[in-house]
Amino acid sequence: MMGEFEAVFPVDRNYHRNHMWSQRQSSGTERFGFSAYAVRLLQDVYFLDWAIDAPCNITAGQEIGAIESKKAESSLYSAMSGSLVQFNENLMEDPSAINVDKYDAGWLFEMDDLSLTDDTQPLDVEGYLQLLVGVWEKTQRTIKGQMNE
Amino acid sequence: MAKRISVVVSQGPSKNPVKRKLEEDIVAGLLFENGIDVTVVPNLYDIKADGTGMLALKSINGNMIVCSWLFERAAHWVMDRNDISGHVGKVLLENDDDEEDEDQPEEDADESETKATVVSKREIPNRKIYCLDFKASTRADDFIKEVKRIQQENLVQVVSLGDVVGGGLVSNSAQQRFESPTNDTAITKDGTGIEPATVNRIENSEGRRWYPVIDYSRCTNCMECIDFCLFGVYGVDRIDTILVEQPDNCRKGCPACSRVCPENAIMFPQHKTPAIAGSAEGNASMKIDLSQLFGAPAEGKTADEIAAMERDEQLLAAGRDAVGMQGLERRHAVATADEPKDDLDQLLDQLDDFE
Repeated sequence: MMGEFEAVFPVDRNYHRNHMWSQRQSSGTERFGFSAYAVRLLQDVYFLDWAIDAPCNITAGQEIGAIESKKAESSLYSAMSGSLVQFNENLMEDPSAINVDKYDAGWLFEMDDLSLTDDTQPLDVEGYLQLLVGVWEKTQRTIKGQMNE
Repeated sequence: MAKRISVVVSQGPSKNPVKRKLEEDIVAGLLFENGIDVTVVPNLYDIKADGTGMLALKSINGNMIVCSWLFERAAHWVMDRNDISGHVGKVLLENDDDEEDEDQPEEDADESETKATVVSKREIPNRKIYCLDFKASTRADDFIKEVKRIQQENLVQVVSLGDVVGGGLVSNSAQQRFESPTNDTAITKDGTGIEPATVNRIENSEGRRWYPVIDYSRCTNCMECIDFCLFGVYGVDRIDTILVEQPDNCRKGCPACSRVCPENAIMFPQHKTPAIAGSAEGNASMKIDLSQLFGAPAEGKTADEIAAMERDEQLLAAGRDAVGMQGLERRHAVATADEPKDDLDQLLDQLDDFE
């Protein structure tokens, strides 16, 4: 499905429909970052910009920032509702950690007081892999569609 | 009289190495040319009104060429709000998609006749500002060539005046001294009397800002934006013209007011959607937009509805109550009344289709 690219999806965390992972930290907050799928689509990340200031409350689906990479750009949205606690400040100066170490040093932000709805249930690795199969069509359409414009 | 031209290179806010290289290659290339004063400043949009960068720009009196990562329209009006004004200089190096504008000059002329815009009542200083968009090409040479073309265009005026005034009346000895100069202050061989380029660099110490920029060549002072924004960003000046009074009140990332402006006169130069960032209509981004895959909400809302949604998001984030379509219902009521569709409806429909 992803061609030659071998993607890694650690089992020690959950995943979301917007291709972010989330993992409970020892401090009790939930940490979010990009999955290998997202990073593969983006390729080299150049610039990350958050549209809001921490701490604040955010809702699932809210636009919270933007990302620009060598080949792509995108708005960034929250996968869940809750309280945004902090952003990974290290990324502001140098977002390349997203490419180099997406599951650890390249984390994006932390939240707590998460509220769960049917739409925002996190997925385990199995569930996420199934999702990837399901969205492959949409992914191709999104990319090819824009290339043909 | 020797005429120098000022070129401003406004650096992009991101650390994108490709962008930096283009900027530096252009600066380096321009330093080889005569008669050009180069000033390097941070991103135009982020410079504070009293920042060193803005003061440097204000000190430029004559015609100037401003290169930035903003769309031409955005760059022009960002400077205008800082009292750096001038007539729009014609630039030939444009984004590919801007060429679509060429087909519609007739339409634009008609529209400007029916609605008086703010700029039509203003006095514009008698000088030209040429805005170059770094996105127009990936080659530094293209920009250097365009700068030289503009420089020539400006020089031609000076030379022709000289011909009329003093041509043909130079004595032999004066002519000889011209051809074999005896000191350092002599006119250079190309006859323009212009010295080599200089560069002035102002470093980036600004944080990133977010605020609306009004295009006064489109603004008709209808006051929709003041009515819509509930964060006190807009105000009026002494003659009741709309202005962005409290730019730093603007909620970071929120472009809602730009969607409600009937004339599409409000820009957010750093917004990812070209139409909101001030592109000429029809411009498409060079990069793939992955928003639909990264969680963007389903499409299919009108511009007004999206604006109301964005405004509510900001109100809630600020600890205030959501207001929904408040203030916008009467626009819809007027629109659906038994009247023939007028320009306002058509414009909103077009905006919906575009988005």
